[in-house]
Amino acid sequence: SAKFTPLPKMAASIGAVVCRALHSRRHGKFLSIGRGLFSGARCLVAEGETHFGFQTVSETEKGEKVYHVFESVAKKYDIMNDSMSLGIHRLWKDILLHQMNPYPGTQLLDVAGGTGDIAFRFINYVRSQWEHQIRQKLKSHQNLSWQEISKSYQEEELKLPGGSQVVVCDINKEMLKVGKQKAQHLGYSEGLSWVVGNAEELPFNDSKFDVYTIAFGIRNVTHIDQALQEAYRVLKPGGRFLCLEFSQVNNPLFSRLYDLYSFQVIPVLGEIIAGDWKSYQYLVESIRHFPAQEEFKAMIEDAGFLKVEYRNLTSGIVAIHSGFKL
Amino acid sequence: MRGWYGSRTLASVLLCRQPPPSGAGAAAAAAHRRSPGAAARRHASDRQTGQGQPQAFDPALLELLVCPLSKKPLRYEASTNELINKELGIAYPIIDGIPNMIPQAARMIDRKAQDEEPKQT
Repeated sequence: SAKFTPLPKMAASIGAVVCRALHSRRHGKFLSIGRGLFSGARCLVAEGETHFGFQTVSETEKGEKVYHVFESVAKKYDIMNDSMSLGIHRLWKDILLHQMNPYPGTQLLDVAGGTGDIAFRFINYVRSQWEHQIRQKLKSHQNLSWQEISKSYQEEELKLPGGSQVVVCDINKEMLKVGKQKAQHLGYSEGLSWVVGNAEELPFNDSKFDVYTIAFGIRNVTHIDQALQEAYRVLKPGGRFLCLEFSQVNNPLFSRLYDLYSFQVIPVLGEIIAGDWKSYQYLVESIRHFPAQEEFKAMIEDAGFLKVEYRNLTSGIVAIHSGFKL
Repeated sequence: MRGWYGSRTLASVLLCRQPPPSGAGAAAAAAHRRSPGAAARRHASDRQTGQGQPQAFDPALLELLVCPLSKKPLRYEASTNELINKELGIAYPIIDGIPNMIPQAARMIDRKAQDEEPKQT
């Protein structure tokens, strides 16, 4: 079906050039015009209230509103991601996987993983790592008999290499349905599970996972600190927390262009492609309200994670925060 | 990924198994760049058509899942296709093979019915 065909190569490569030109790896405090304008607004919320984009809503309302946003966009989610980010979101997610660098045998929990982008990349990554390992082994053991070689191929057909597993958890069953269909379509079946669950109240026991990822999901959570605490709980000691999320742009000129693009182009694209202006208006507003790199880093440290670092991508449009449970 | 596909044909030749039909294999490789191979897809589709209902719950998940409220293990009830927390008296539904672990979605189990069950068995 048309939904799942890869983005035309030219658009993706243009996106890649832009991305590399603006890629910044520097840490530290960044001030942007956008942040200056909106940080004041964040302080004005009363007890029991929170933000839904630029509206102030009660905390219970936010959960419902977010649910409805994703329920309505679920089927067009992937197409919209490609259009809005010119395919660059694929690069961001690839970079996340490279930073994770999972070995065969890793247990991954992907929260707010809806349509499965991170999960599928994880599976591809561990498989290619395994192939690499096999090739290395074969290179150094040139005298293996044909039977032994074929046996090593036989083992990997039934399960993911090394017993790797990924559980995709999302609060929205529509998003998971789309993800599951995609998985069947693309042929991913082993080592992959789907669970409807709340990031603030995960249905998993303590110390179960090696890696916890949340990509473009944490800004939609009503109580981010609770989600971070749950992440800490379900990770094994030595486990890694990785968060890929929109953040604050560091370059003032680029920030202006980015604001223009966000508020003028994205909701229009939302209306044309998905028939839903409001949801994409919510999207760009929610990005502006999410804490900046340093503040989010402090929140992660508060939950107990150590060696917390972040890395800006595309000049700060997106940041990867990483922490360890030690 | 091309290396992956090539090694699968080699493996099946070595194991004297029937290789995936070349027509289907070539079409699959052309249509899906990231496909792990025709065999995996046939396996998945066999499972789908084999069962009359949408994919059943994977019991391997049971080892991982706990009740989000009490963090206690759950029991899988095949007749109603639910995950039961007996202590709190709630049941989480499983829809299309995906368990719904949101507390608001859980159903309260009638306590009386629960008490009668051990007497009947």
